[in-house]
Amino acid sequence: MATTDDLIANLVDELRPVRRMRQAQGLWFIAAAIGLSVAVVLLSLGQRPDLAAGRLDPIFLMGSGSFLILGLAAAVTVVIMGRPQVGTDHRGWLWAAAMATVLPLAALITGIAAGPATALARSAPDHGLTCLLVGSALGLVPALLLVAWLRRGAPTSPERAGLVTGVAAGCFGIFAVSLYCPYNDVMHIGLWHSLVVVTCAAAGRAVIPRLIRW
Amino acid sequence: MIADEATLARLMAMAQNGDRQAYAALLAACSQWLMRFYRRRVAPHSCDDLVQETLMSLHQKLASYDPERPFLPWLAAIARYRWVDHLRKLYRADETGFDSEPIAASEEPAIAARISLARLFQYLSPAQARAIELVKIEGLSVAQAAVACGQSESLVKVNIHRGLKKLAALIEKD
Repeated sequence: MATTDDLIANLVDELRPVRRMRQAQGLWFIAAAIGLSVAVVLLSLGQRPDLAAGRLDPIFLMGSGSFLILGLAAAVTVVIMGRPQVGTDHRGWLWAAAMATVLPLAALITGIAAGPATALARSAPDHGLTCLLVGSALGLVPALLLVAWLRRGAPTSPERAGLVTGVAAGCFGIFAVSLYCPYNDVMHIGLWHSLVVVTCAAAGRAVIPRLIRW
Repeated sequence: MIADEATLARLMAMAQNGDRQAYAALLAACSQWLMRFYRRRVAPHSCDDLVQETLMSLHQKLASYDPERPFLPWLAAIARYRWVDHLRKLYRADETGFDSEPIAASEEPAIAARISLARLFQYLSPAQARAIELVKIEGLSVAQAAVACGQSESLVKVNIHRGLKKLAALIEKD
């Protein structure tokens, strides 16, 4: 191997001005991730009838709001992970994740009370499967943007960064789909919408680390 | 001479703008800093290689530093990442010219200690730290390490595996 002095000479020779990864720039990535996902849904599937009419269901608001906030917490964590620094804690998003588990837990509790057959019917499985597939596929849009950020950056834990990126992608994907999905039952949102986040998180954890390792 | 935090941060900001003279000074200072940082935490013969790998990572990830933030915690994160990666890749070192000075006896100042490698080792169990030191840093075989620390060979392997996994998860922890 060449000496360190030779290496330094080569690196200096290769130096080009770089565009710094500012925090604000990362936040623009997040805004683009949400905006694009929502635009794809509204342009291709349209919006819920009650949304257009201005009558908003509280379960819909709480469900979509929870996913949006968890998505934001996870995406901000991804932005932070791109710019490493000893002394940074990356676990803040877990509190938002804990809050969001209220949705599947509420579905589980009401499901147990109603009995399995009623609970499954109320979750609208046919439409639920569509939400799961479309929401997960839509997660690719935010995932691509966040992966681009991480590839420029230097995430020191590619596995964790992959998982958190998956959570953010799933949350933004299902948030966008929820603007179209007309179902307001907590069984539907707690089961199928939450599954999108779980699916994307698992996919992110499995696939993304190899894309961002350095 | 080891440059101070403010000087390094300034040189780095200039380098990001394409100033080659500042970059040459920065890399020279960083290579010295890294030599000290890695000392006693890698086998002496691989220290140069690791410093060079880290300088290449610094070069590749130049954009991820924000001049509004301190420089050394950024460099330490890059360096810790390369170090854990190095320990993972290391199959078995074939030299044991190891400086036997006790690892806990550090004369580093308080701020440097917070970003040091010794700091990371504190999060390992004593058995994990010992197994990693003997095999990955001193270059003993698993069998030799088992004799040296009184653990079974499989336990040494398990401790190395779990210890490295833990280190990888703690890279940005102070």
